[in-house]
Amino acid sequence: MSLKDVLTPFTAWKRIAKEPVTVIDPFNDRPGADRYRGFHQNDVEKCIGCGTCEAICENEAIDMVPFKDPISGDSGLRPSLDYGRCCWCALCVDVCTTNSLKLSNEYTWITTDPEDFRFTPGVDKKSWDENDKGWVKPEPNYEFYNTQRVEMEHLHPEERVDSFIEMVKGYSHEQALAEADRCVECGICIATCPAHMGIPEYIKAIRNEDLEEGLRILYETNPLPEICGRICTHKCETVCSIGYKGDPLSIRWLKRYIADQVPSERYQSILNTNDINNNGKRIAIIGSGPAGLSAAHYLALMGYQCTIFEQYEKAGGMMRYGIPEYRLPYDQIDKDIDYILSLGVEIKYNTRVGRDITLDQLSQDFDAVFSGTGLHLGRSTGIEGSDNEHVYYSTDLLRQITEGKDIEVAEHIVVIGGGNVAMDITRSLARMQKVKYGKVNIIATSLEKEENMPADREEVVESREEGAVLMPGWAPQRIEIQHGRPTGLHVVKCNSLFDDTGRFNPQCDMEVKNFFEGSMIVQSIGQGMDLSYVDEKWMEGLSFGPRGRVKTNEYFQTDLEWFFMGGDIIEGPDVIHGIANGHKAAIGIDRYLQNLKD
Amino acid sequence: MKQLVEIIQNHFPINDIDLRKKSLAFISIHQNQAIPLLEWLKTTHGYTAFVLLTAVDWIEENRFQLTYLISNPENFTELGVRVFIDREKAEMVSAHHLWKSIWVYQRELKEMFGINFPDSPRVNESFILEGWDTIPPYRRDFDTKQYSEETYFPRPGRSTNDPAKHMKSKLYPKD
Amino acid sequence: MFTINNDRSKFPELDDAGNALIDLTSHKYLKLWQGPQHPGVTGNMSLELTVTGDEIVESKTHVGYLHRGFEKLMERRTFIQCFPTCIRLCVAEPDPNEYLLSSCVEELAGIEVPETAQWLRMLALEMARLQVLLRQVPGQAGTFALGLGYQWGNYIRDLILDRFEELTGGRVYHMYILPGGVRGLLPNGFKNRLEENLKLVDEFLPNVWDLIYTNSVFKKRAKGLAVIPKEWIDQYGIYGPAARAAGIMRDVRKTHPYLFYSEIDFEPFTTDESDVFARSLVRWHDLKMTVDIIRQILAKMPEKGDIKAPTPNVMHWKIPKGETYVKCESSRGEYGMYLVTDGSDKPRRVNLKGPSYTHATSVLEKLLVNANIADTAAIMVSLATCPPEIER
Repeated sequence: MSLKDVLTPFTAWKRIAKEPVTVIDPFNDRPGADRYRGFHQNDVEKCIGCGTCEAICENEAIDMVPFKDPISGDSGLRPSLDYGRCCWCALCVDVCTTNSLKLSNEYTWITTDPEDFRFTPGVDKKSWDENDKGWVKPEPNYEFYNTQRVEMEHLHPEERVDSFIEMVKGYSHEQALAEADRCVECGICIATCPAHMGIPEYIKAIRNEDLEEGLRILYETNPLPEICGRICTHKCETVCSIGYKGDPLSIRWLKRYIADQVPSERYQSILNTNDINNNGKRIAIIGSGPAGLSAAHYLALMGYQCTIFEQYEKAGGMMRYGIPEYRLPYDQIDKDIDYILSLGVEIKYNTRVGRDITLDQLSQDFDAVFSGTGLHLGRSTGIEGSDNEHVYYSTDLLRQITEGKDIEVAEHIVVIGGGNVAMDITRSLARMQKVKYGKVNIIATSLEKEENMPADREEVVESREEGAVLMPGWAPQRIEIQHGRPTGLHVVKCNSLFDDTGRFNPQCDMEVKNFFEGSMIVQSIGQGMDLSYVDEKWMEGLSFGPRGRVKTNEYFQTDLEWFFMGGDIIEGPDVIHGIANGHKAAIGIDRYLQNLKD
Repeated sequence: MKQLVEIIQNHFPINDIDLRKKSLAFISIHQNQAIPLLEWLKTTHGYTAFVLLTAVDWIEENRFQLTYLISNPENFTELGVRVFIDREKAEMVSAHHLWKSIWVYQRELKEMFGINFPDSPRVNESFILEGWDTIPPYRRDFDTKQYSEETYFPRPGRSTNDPAKHMKSKLYPKD
Repeated sequence: MFTINNDRSKFPELDDAGNALIDLTSHKYLKLWQGPQHPGVTGNMSLELTVTGDEIVESKTHVGYLHRGFEKLMERRTFIQCFPTCIRLCVAEPDPNEYLLSSCVEELAGIEVPETAQWLRMLALEMARLQVLLRQVPGQAGTFALGLGYQWGNYIRDLILDRFEELTGGRVYHMYILPGGVRGLLPNGFKNRLEENLKLVDEFLPNVWDLIYTNSVFKKRAKGLAVIPKEWIDQYGIYGPAARAAGIMRDVRKTHPYLFYSEIDFEPFTTDESDVFARSLVRWHDLKMTVDIIRQILAKMPEKGDIKAPTPNVMHWKIPKGETYVKCESSRGEYGMYLVTDGSDKPRRVNLKGPSYTHATSVLEKLLVNANIADTAAIMVSLATCPPEIER
């Protein structure tokens, strides 16, 4: 111990002249850092109430509470926070599917009522709502789930343009697992799906590698998974929550993956439909399209003896006769239909109700009748020259292609229409031109502009890949006929389709003209229904709603108690509505017949 | 590590060898052989430092896994020795004679998992819990959530909605 | 100056297991409870002392004042949800917990962390060490009632917390290192501001040296107090600065270099005295070394780059069955996590092993025998006791 040891500590006195480091300032806030994890903010207009924040919260500090009425793609719920539990970890911000949730850098909040600390950010107004600093999800390359979808492999345009081989290859095991992993299980999609399929559950089954469970979930609401897995209009994907920061989940391809992986021989044992008790009641079903097949499936499961009357020689309706084989191969249609037939459903082919048997007869022979006759009548543009024999309807041509009939394929073709059916016929004819002439020379024109075309985007892109020329935004005026044969289509520029009240009222600039050359014209501007099979005496008993559609109740029961109707003639047009209608009608028929008995 | 495992294999019947990384391996050994193995490794192979002792409850298999993690301060390697014991008769020989710190681990395991180590110092004294009257809390069948719900008062007035169910009830209640 | 366990004539008899046979009715002994609010620890822990006069004859460590069963709670949380839970194991230095959980998960799931993220992890870990040592170094003198240095240190520590706030969004619980990477790059101007703070530490180091290590009172009390013999190191499980004060090189950063520590030039200080003074001295050198390491990290780390590796969807991230042990060097010594997974989306078992688990139980109980009541806090601080590590 030296004297130095006694004295050196006193050097601390040198600090006595220093300015104190502590500051007393009761007037100015000390703002949190730019990244500070303070109180929550939520942009309630951006938020869709998916509840992923609630799911990730490790403290159960978040409740989803009603904010407004739900609509498709928005549950109407918004996260409400309990600051008695929150630990401000900001996982809710990092996972937020819409980036609506943030933490401000505000960290002081004084109130006398402890209940105040439970609030719904964005709804309950707070002083920090306009604060633009605080924690936001780090950028870039910081994601809690993969925002990019697993690319679906397609046949190359060169490979597919001269054949009708299915062009979408389907997911492999690894691809399906990777894609299924992206789902956050919010369930927003279920309400948007017309059939309200258990989407998060069957995707979970893929993740768990339990495809049998997946198939069971599919069949709870959809008896045509192979078909829907290929051609469904996938409205679910348009509302998918993970689509906000990237690509939506490939729900349709995942559904197809489940159905593709399970061999048809195993369906009955997996779905436990080996022996169904027949209840002795008979149901007639008109048309073997999605609505009819769906109704037959669910009625058969309930023990009803179903007979389907089909006007053509094969079942499937528009799915077979309207959709080209490259999108929906016939063997896949057969796989779904064969399973439904295995439940004891009978189909009378080549039997058109109204021609071969009357509806009146059916009403006497059966306990109830379901009709899903769809939209098969081509709609005409009605322009000059449209009555020429080389001017066709797309529905007729597509059916004839399926039937293997020899159809006219001209070297130059013009298709009128911008919907999916127009794309189907354009692409089908393009393939046939390629085979016949070695090159594609087809123009598809539509009233709608590019961005408003009703066809799916991928259909538009793929048509172009296959060599078709798309000319959106032109209104057909007249078909030029020379020597009894069309030479082309006169069109004018179409500026808008609807007027201010939302009514269909195209506005055209007659000065901007164009001429599309073609010796064969195909009209594909929509289809109409044909109710000629309904006998006059029954027709009187039906009432009609908007757009000439027959009025039905929520179970698709018409004013004639024994007569149910569904599918494209009531809702849609698309496959998934047909399936949903058929299912609902099956329940309605069951209720109706049960009530009769009581 | 591979070399060491091979040497051990020549002396002790071990299985489930997991060469986790360059400096870490896990092996399993029968309950009766574990303490002699630890002693042998400590005295002849330089595994003089004790890292940790803990248990894993494999309730589905009705057994506990005890992991003795030991390390060699000379070559900086670690070895995890796994022992599986019957869950119904949860008892293990004390290793306190090998390292002076082990009694703490054993006392904690007694309290938290209900695994007994006869003759371990102060093994029956309560360590963390006082007046605990239900099953040992670190066993898998002890449900923390249920316990807290029964023991504490949930904050009143909270309720939540599942988005999918909420949308169903509002948009298509009858389907 | 005293030595340990030699002359027991004035102390009670021991039984075969080494427990003191104390007859309280003899009026020779008194039970004295120190804690749970204790001057020697961050957190709550109680010592049941049996004293005769002002000397301790027996000590028992009592924990359980904090226990919330974090290891068990993590068993019912998904891996991402474990990340805000596990940090709560240590208030003073939460970052090693984040690092260990992330690193265990990454190892078992086979995830490669981007280089920038690894440098940022190192920076966060070293900054955490810095802010702990800024309190611990002068805090040792604080236990002898010299609180001045503690105030100096605490001021700089607060500035370091400001830097943490900028970098991570939190001052105490940083929640920065998560499975896959980290949660943000350095903000603009961060390096300069941190360098300003480091300059204050440069200034602080000699000042605190003059105040404490040359201080005759501190020397008198700390030298020769609670000497840990070399043989105890492995026998009792003594880590980090406490081991290095006994002349045994224990630093995970050197022995098992993780992250990019192999690219950093540093040499941990060792000494032989192994008393409270020596352990404090080691920490003073550690503080100096930490400043140097941070400067090296700032100089070497990349400015830009990915901060997080892509992981599976964290909402249902399943990790294959397996187990691993990962360790790092905390300010208190080797800090490790043993993680067992069973193939589900939640851990089967998480076990954290901090130095206090042995330091504050077997070692402390042994060291306190023969010590003076007034020295207990000093001995606890010299062992860097952190009660949450015992009752995880």
